[in-house]
Amino acid sequence: MPDDNPPFDLADCLERVRHRDQAAARELVEHLHPLVIRIVRSHLPRRVAEEDLSQEIFLKMFTRLAQYQGAVPFPHWVSRIAVTTCIDHLRAQKRRPEFRWADLSETEAEVLDNVITNENDVPANDAMAAHEIVHKLLAQLKPDDQLVIRLLDLEQKTIAEISAITGWNQSLVKVRAFRARRKLQKLFHELEQDERV
Amino acid sequence: MKANDPKHPWARLTAAARTMTDDRDNAAPHGFATRVVALGFANEPRLTVSLFERFAWRAVGVAGLLAILSVVVNYSVLSRTVAVEEQITEEESMAQLLSVD
Repeated sequence: MPDDNPPFDLADCLERVRHRDQAAARELVEHLHPLVIRIVRSHLPRRVAEEDLSQEIFLKMFTRLAQYQGAVPFPHWVSRIAVTTCIDHLRAQKRRPEFRWADLSETEAEVLDNVITNENDVPANDAMAAHEIVHKLLAQLKPDDQLVIRLLDLEQKTIAEISAITGWNQSLVKVRAFRARRKLQKLFHELEQDERV
Repeated sequence: MKANDPKHPWARLTAAARTMTDDRDNAAPHGFATRVVALGFANEPRLTVSLFERFAWRAVGVAGLLAILSVVVNYSVLSRTVAVEEQITEEESMAQLLSVD
């Protein structure tokens, strides 16, 4: 069945928003919501509701709209606002929860034990548990390092793409990735030792 | 073994985590866009105030420049006036002296 909806004209919509057209502004929010909510969900800080965070991002977008010069596509510009807002919230949470075997569910502990003690891939039906463990381990890293590793290892972005999303230069992204991997290495080493005890 | 080695536990965990698909709805909740737009447009007066402040400072700068410029342009007239006033003062004191004599 052909799609009857005409393609969304972003340039025209932005022009109307600049002339304070509220209907156009609502269309813009609805058009960009899937993009923003995906970023929010993948970098959501603890104890922050995803709707509150996405609202904050859209409000920043409206406040800064006059600064948008069109140097990058508009969705990229909004993505950067979303990423930096998430990072600011992560930075505000100074204390990071300690990673302990005792806090893992039975399945999570089993999956983690398996990846530490053998070299087999995680079975497909344990993907959910692996996902949870990855997020608990990521929470041990500094916010900036978390962001880099999330983008590199979960979203499989390149260094250049991460640099474009975050606004950090490529050397800084590499340094943060290196530091984060070293911390993860140390964490796994500690987990191996705890597992042996 | 490094954390980016495909056999490292971290690499195997992330590979499994990537297979997870997020089935949650990505569309904006009902009323979300209306609320955000209302809040976003309500913040507009602050923008007007900040614009006013920005132009007010510029106006102060322009006024200062005009003041300096007017002093420079009228310097000859001003200096002549001061000289005439000094002369009058001198003449007055001379007259006082003469009247004393």
